[in-house]
Amino acid sequence: MSHHSKELIKVTDATERIAHWILAGSCLFCLISGLGLMFHSWSIIPTLLGGYYATKWMHIFSGVIFAMALVNAYIMWWKECIFEKDDLGWIMQGGGYLWPTDNLPPVYKFNAGQKAFFWCLIGCGIIIVVSGLVMLSPLVFPVVIARWAFMLHALGVMVLGSFFIVHLYLGTIGNPGTVQAMFTGKCTRAWCETYCPRWLAEHDQDPNKNIA
Amino acid sequence: MAEYIKLIDVTKCTGCRGCQVACKQWNSLPAEKTGFTGSLQNPADLSFTTWCLIRFDELEKDGKLKWIMRHDACMHCDWPACVKACPSPGALTRTDEGAVIHNPKFCIGCKSCAVACPFGIPKYSKAQDKIAKCTLCYDRITDGKQPACVTACNTGALLFGRKEEMLEKAHKRAEQVGGLVYPGNPKYETHVLTILPAGIAPKDLSQMNPDPKMPATVLWWKNLFKPFTLIGIGGVAGASLLHYLIKGPHEAHEKKEGEE
Amino acid sequence: MTNHWNDIQHSDCILIMGSNAAENHPISFKWVNEARAKRGAKLIHVDPRFTRTSATADIYARLRSGTDIAFLGGMINYALQKNRIQRDYVREYSDAAYLVNPDFKGPADLNGLFSGLEGTKYDKATWTYQLDENGNPKKDPSMQDPNCVFQLLKKHYARYTPEKVCGLTGTDPQDFEAVCDTFTATCKPEKSGTIMYAMGTTQHTYGSQNVRAFSVLQILLGNIGVAGGGINALRGESNVQGSTDHAALFHILPGYLKVPTSAQPTLAQYNEENTPKSNDPMNVNWWGNTPKYMASLMKAWWRDADLETAYSYLPKPDKGKNYSYLPIFSEMAHGKVKGLMVWGMNPAVGAPSSRMIRRALSKLDWMVAVDLWETETSAFWQKEAGVDPETIKTEVFMLPAAASVEKEGSVSNSGRWGQWRYKAVDPPGHAEDDLWIMNQLVYRLKDLYKAEGGAFPDPVLNLTWNYGKVGPNGRNTPSPREVAKEINGYFVVDKDIEDKATGTITKFKAGDMVPSFAILQDDGSTCSGNWLYCNSVTNTEFKMMKRDSTDPTGLGSYHNWSWCWPVNRRIIYNRASVDLEGNPWAKDKPVIWWNAMKKLWAGDVVDGGGAPGAKYPFIMINHGHAQLFAAGMTDGPFPEHYEPLESQVKNTMSAEQVSPVIARWDKKVKEEVCDPFIVEGCAAATFGSPEGKEFPIVCSTYRVVEHWQTGQMTRWLPWLAELVPHQFVEMSEELAREKGIHNGDKVRITSIRNQEGIEAYAMVTKRFKPFTINGQTVHQVGMTWHFGYKGLVTGGNANDLTPFIGDANTMIPEYKAFLVNIARMGR
Repeated sequence: MSHHSKELIKVTDATERIAHWILAGSCLFCLISGLGLMFHSWSIIPTLLGGYYATKWMHIFSGVIFAMALVNAYIMWWKECIFEKDDLGWIMQGGGYLWPTDNLPPVYKFNAGQKAFFWCLIGCGIIIVVSGLVMLSPLVFPVVIARWAFMLHALGVMVLGSFFIVHLYLGTIGNPGTVQAMFTGKCTRAWCETYCPRWLAEHDQDPNKNIA
Repeated sequence: MAEYIKLIDVTKCTGCRGCQVACKQWNSLPAEKTGFTGSLQNPADLSFTTWCLIRFDELEKDGKLKWIMRHDACMHCDWPACVKACPSPGALTRTDEGAVIHNPKFCIGCKSCAVACPFGIPKYSKAQDKIAKCTLCYDRITDGKQPACVTACNTGALLFGRKEEMLEKAHKRAEQVGGLVYPGNPKYETHVLTILPAGIAPKDLSQMNPDPKMPATVLWWKNLFKPFTLIGIGGVAGASLLHYLIKGPHEAHEKKEGEE
Repeated sequence: MTNHWNDIQHSDCILIMGSNAAENHPISFKWVNEARAKRGAKLIHVDPRFTRTSATADIYARLRSGTDIAFLGGMINYALQKNRIQRDYVREYSDAAYLVNPDFKGPADLNGLFSGLEGTKYDKATWTYQLDENGNPKKDPSMQDPNCVFQLLKKHYARYTPEKVCGLTGTDPQDFEAVCDTFTATCKPEKSGTIMYAMGTTQHTYGSQNVRAFSVLQILLGNIGVAGGGINALRGESNVQGSTDHAALFHILPGYLKVPTSAQPTLAQYNEENTPKSNDPMNVNWWGNTPKYMASLMKAWWRDADLETAYSYLPKPDKGKNYSYLPIFSEMAHGKVKGLMVWGMNPAVGAPSSRMIRRALSKLDWMVAVDLWETETSAFWQKEAGVDPETIKTEVFMLPAAASVEKEGSVSNSGRWGQWRYKAVDPPGHAEDDLWIMNQLVYRLKDLYKAEGGAFPDPVLNLTWNYGKVGPNGRNTPSPREVAKEINGYFVVDKDIEDKATGTITKFKAGDMVPSFAILQDDGSTCSGNWLYCNSVTNTEFKMMKRDSTDPTGLGSYHNWSWCWPVNRRIIYNRASVDLEGNPWAKDKPVIWWNAMKKLWAGDVVDGGGAPGAKYPFIMINHGHAQLFAAGMTDGPFPEHYEPLESQVKNTMSAEQVSPVIARWDKKVKEEVCDPFIVEGCAAATFGSPEGKEFPIVCSTYRVVEHWQTGQMTRWLPWLAELVPHQFVEMSEELAREKGIHNGDKVRITSIRNQEGIEAYAMVTKRFKPFTINGQTVHQVGMTWHFGYKGLVTGGNANDLTPFIGDANTMIPEYKAFLVNIARMGR
């Protein structure tokens, strides 16, 4: 069986893409509005958003969306993000991004970096969401818990924010063609062969199976 | 600009609560609908509309009954945790006089200050979605007057004046009565000092933090995580850019025949 | 107060007894704290309750309610036994050396009685001093004669041993010893101790004797007339001193002149019987001026009548007839009172056994209530009072009155300072100031008498009423300044007065203010509404308006700030603050001192005048000496311990359980009234009776700083209602355990006068502890009397429980010790 490398293969369905963008959008909005609240010098952000008070409520509102999208993301992706033995090898070689390698273990759908980002997202997301919920009514909790909530919220953002940039870079210009997975849902066969060869093989067996 | 200190001499307080009413009067704070609290303390706690409160503590020390009445209100920290925690510029300010004041216009009701405060002072109103607290009567002290509570106090339990003068007074008086000056932590200065009677420690009294300081969580949050969020995001973004420039984009490659 | 609030700062030891000054006189603590901080003064609090005052005290000693005389008797005994007395002061300035009638017998001889008891009254024939041929008391300066006051006193109080005292009071003997030792240390001439007292002292069936016991102690210690000393009655209202000075009482006329009785039909006879005479040139005999005071008062009231006619206008009750608070309501309960003007008063909450009082009110035809708000009294007929309005026939009129800041006038504080106050704002709505209301009332009464005649119209028709500018209708708009001028007094005719000492003649014109009460005349040429206030207004100034805060004596007397009676003397009996040479006992806080060069007194306005040693210092007392032996009392010249009418404890001091001369309304009403509600309201659970066993707990009523009296003013103010929103009853953890009560529970308190009881929240506290009295456990509780059924916050009325019994001298009700029971109601 021969395939053309420019052939477009459907790698995601619409539900997955919408879910991703809701998650990404709410996350990004939370991050930006949150940074606006964190840094007094960035008052331009709350100003653009209609003031600090409006910003607080928008942050809370988008946080709720983020929380729901996070639950959805977990349900959608958790199985595919379970670490396997091969992931260790991938990580040991920096995923091939940092120095030349030629024997990266074949990836199924998500490579170890993507999995790590997922679990980071889930982990930090839970911290941020739970602490955020505490912060909504911090005074009903013992003050120690409330204080930890404020601190952990910031910690979660610090970690997730940094990882988010990695994700942004690798999902866009770092890996050309990748971004299509989240727009059109279709990537080239070559892209698939590069980034998810095992999945592609399975896909080739049964093209109707295994999307999303 | 001179810094000021309000001195609370518990040894002279008779719990008349004139300060409590004077505070409400000057600040136009409405009365609360209160219930029986089991002691004379009423309202039960500080609130959005009760900025100072006499706390009553009955305790037995060395077989002697002590009934301590303590004026409790904002301590006006020199390095206030509430201000540090506040996300909204102008909502909480430490003034040159040493007063820590809140501005309802800018308060967004996030409650960060209420949580951060080592003394549990800022109080939140759900209806207003704002916090409120003692302002050291900033509007009075900048007009050459004393805070309303101090003016009302007739037993000399509340004094107000220049920082140096009050510090000296506080320590002299504490020595005279054999008691403590609270907070008494040279690393955590406040513009309110409390003189406790002999034999009474902060831990003996209700709602009196024996070791007030900037909460560690606030320090981690504001001094570590906050800058590192920027450093993290900026650093990663920079590293990504460098990676792009040095290594270039990671192109998808076509599978060579026979590799499978 | 003999001294002033700010004089407390000069004290070396402050004994607060029968008062919760920190709470009810908060300003006094400014000076208490000052004395402690600057002089190292010790603060002693003696009280049944551990209060906000006890909390700040150096020594706190508990005593069972109603055992003040036992406690003070023990202190007096301590002072006498340990020679902790200021001997020179006692010998020279008190009646200690006077010889007493040898027929006089006291409780030490008569097992609790004084000589002369006849039924429920004492015949005081034996309570007299032995007089010499000049009518002056005989003295034994050595104070050794067994009949001298000092030896009688010693004998009387020798029975008050620490064991006996602590057995009755329940005080820890160590605390008692500490109080005695600390306070009697002020017997040193250069030291002074003050006593601050209030209603905890007076509201007993022997309340006046409690105060007398203070006097005896303070005289022995030489603490009267000196700075930082005195006996200081903390008056409960900003102007209650003024109200007594101006005689808002039945038994006195303005300036503490006695009310004439029907047995004194003429002024001449009145003067004869009420003017003490003295042949001792050293005796100032202040009351010897009574005819001048009385004549001037008559002229103030009936300018155009001659003195005897004016005197004939005065109402004259029968001798011994009592028209004080309790008898008024007793008469009302009998249906003998038709109308009542309740002026800034709330007896429906404030009077003892107030449930019965409210029933008595329903027997009125009409009531006029003058107040700021609707009070429980003016609303006694409403549903909230627990009655059916249909059944009440009384017609009630409410006159809204102006508050203190809404009117001009003077206020006389506890330190006898008459201070002028100005109107700050207009009263709201139809509210009017008291003088305006009174003015209307007088004119309308005059009109009515003119139109209808009626019985004896002359006193009203001829009443001089001329305060303020006269309008076109011939009537004046009243001015408090005009009233103040009349109170001071002025000449009604031109008069030349000769100073007998110097021979100089001063010419006064009609309308000239009388410069001092010594210038008042007994011939009707001067008028004065109150001789005590003579000197408060001069031709040139209203001294009560003076606000000069300079303090030339350095003692905080501020002689140019307002004006103080008498004649701006800030410390009464100040002549006792110096020795016979005029040297102050205490050099560091002299009140007065003799300048030998100029031959003048310096400092405060001296009592009596003349050179040092020329006059006796206690000028208001008949013989010029402080009285350890006070025959003026109805219940004995020495204070003697009796139990409260309602008590669980047997009096171990003598065979007399209660004072033999108190008016037993419980017995009287039972005989005379058929309304069982009123009989119940007057009932008493006396010692040893079956009712006494049914109500085993001692209760005191009191005030908290947050509320005022019956709450008629404070329970309408949100900020104060917030602070104390509920009636509560304080009790010990031990009693709570016994009764299954937890802090914050609702409880019901009952007394023999109110078996339905009242509700309150339980405040279970370590500050209350059961007493062990001669081996017997006595529980004590306390509650405020601020609550009723009107206002922003309401609650159980403690006076629905209190006894209808009063002091033998003053008839002040025994609010401070009565019996109750308590049961848990629920949460």
